[in-house]
Amino acid sequence: MNFKELRGKFRAKKVSAKEAVESSLEKIKDDKLNIFINNFEKQALSNAEYIDNNFDDFKDKPLSGVPIAHKDIFCTEGLPTTCGSKMLENFIAPYDATVVKNCFDAGSIMVAKTNMDEFAMGSSNETSYFGAVSNPWNHNLVPGGSSGGAAACVSANLTTISTGTDTGGSIRQPAALCGITGLKPTYGLVSRWGMIAFCSSMDQAGPFSKDAFGCAALLDAMASYDEKDSTSTKRDNINFEKSLSKDFGSLNIGVIKNIEKLGISEDVINAYETSKTVLTGLGHKLIEVDFSELSSGICSYYVIAPAECSSNLSRFDGVKYGYRSEGEKDIANLYMNTRSDGFGDEVKKRILIGTHVLSAGFYDAYYLQAQKVRRMIKVKFEDFFKHVDLIFMPTTLDQAFEKNRKSDDPNRMYKEDLLTIPANLAGLPAISFPNGFKNNLPIGGQLIGKYFGEDLLLNTTNKIQEVTDWHKMTP
Amino acid sequence: MDKIELKNLLFLARINAKEEEYPEIIEKLKNTFGLIDEMQDLDLSDLEPLNNPLELSNVSREDKDKDRNEKKKFLDNSPEADEDYFNVPKIIE
Repeated sequence: MNFKELRGKFRAKKVSAKEAVESSLEKIKDDKLNIFINNFEKQALSNAEYIDNNFDDFKDKPLSGVPIAHKDIFCTEGLPTTCGSKMLENFIAPYDATVVKNCFDAGSIMVAKTNMDEFAMGSSNETSYFGAVSNPWNHNLVPGGSSGGAAACVSANLTTISTGTDTGGSIRQPAALCGITGLKPTYGLVSRWGMIAFCSSMDQAGPFSKDAFGCAALLDAMASYDEKDSTSTKRDNINFEKSLSKDFGSLNIGVIKNIEKLGISEDVINAYETSKTVLTGLGHKLIEVDFSELSSGICSYYVIAPAECSSNLSRFDGVKYGYRSEGEKDIANLYMNTRSDGFGDEVKKRILIGTHVLSAGFYDAYYLQAQKVRRMIKVKFEDFFKHVDLIFMPTTLDQAFEKNRKSDDPNRMYKEDLLTIPANLAGLPAISFPNGFKNNLPIGGQLIGKYFGEDLLLNTTNKIQEVTDWHKMTP
Repeated sequence: MDKIELKNLLFLARINAKEEEYPEIIEKLKNTFGLIDEMQDLDLSDLEPLNNPLELSNVSREDKDKDRNEKKKFLDNSPEADEDYFNVPKIIE
């Protein structure tokens, strides 16, 4: 049952929230893929009963009666919030993230929190302190990351919707590798309050579901102006679900010139070419865009993200919350040993890179230059959007890869983000959706839109999904 | 990057590492900077740096008291605290 069917059954009183939650929890308990860090049976059942008892208040809400799994980066009041790290293994959040509160108010019931790369730093879910997640399509493969658990959860039909966060592709890449739909909204559309910070100028929360419909409904719940987040944007609310049926007419869609030179696999290129014919079949016009600056985005990202990470993660010092190393006699050793034991290798590496690029003597060459590359990418997009309504490209260079494979070559892992990073640097919205299969493994395609153009992204993806079946495939 | 520079960097980041781990850490960092350094050839002297995609201005709110005391809730999350303070080892000899 997909999101739309499940919500429909709740609204028609054919399935109660409690029954939906019980069914989800049963599957979650059987999980062999290490998708979850914690599940909350008692609380989920009690919340489901509350929603059932107040049916009239919830029946018309966007997520009425539907179980949801939140990425374990979102604070949940009174419940563990680990961010995939030993540092927060025993941390009980003192408040709910705005996203968590919004989803509850919209009628969904949180059943579990999903595994993720430690502090969202990774593209394979292998940096999690709680172990790697398996891809539902092939258990030897990774689900992608950092929101690997959230994507695998929906892909394996354990819940019909889940939340994720995307700093350099952490929603879109796992969506592509797990064969589902995932949207990174415009920076500022969804509140970051209560979402543990990695790279504050790029972090953005967004929805996962099998299809654009589920993502639209979940985004309706997630998006809100929030005075507690100073980068939250005040704007008129768009109803994304309603915008799915709107007629936007024939669009100009930018497609990437010389795509074969980017190191993308043949199977992904083939799927891309097939999708282009789907787009023209829907009446859209394809216009080639030259994006040769694309690869500089990776350089910029791997300076700016570690720089912000080193600053954000300086709060983990063993004093106010989280892990503290034992038996320390002085404060200097307390800081050093807490951080050395509490963080994993990838996180420590990024803190070191960030500290280096921000230090005296290196700032101009690295941090300032990276911010100029960021400007260049943004200007490039602004130029494209003078001529096109959307840009279409593959989400990833290849399909899901084997566990441990890319950990041996970190640069290869970092290059995995080539096609997703530009939207984060520019703060633009982008959606990944299944657009092909090869060897019984999904492939993802990605549409990038103008600022706050989520309605057009979801509408276009929905139209594609009305004439294709890739999103209906199940592992 | 040599061992002295790494030692300084580790101290700035408040991270410990054993000296025998230094060569491996230096190698990892060099590898990443090899990737990052590809941007050094770009002439971007005419571009302004961009630090936030939306170039937002600060949001301010009225400077008002709120009747909210969550001291206990926050102190309870500390690895070591008493009723009023976070406890840490001795700072000054």
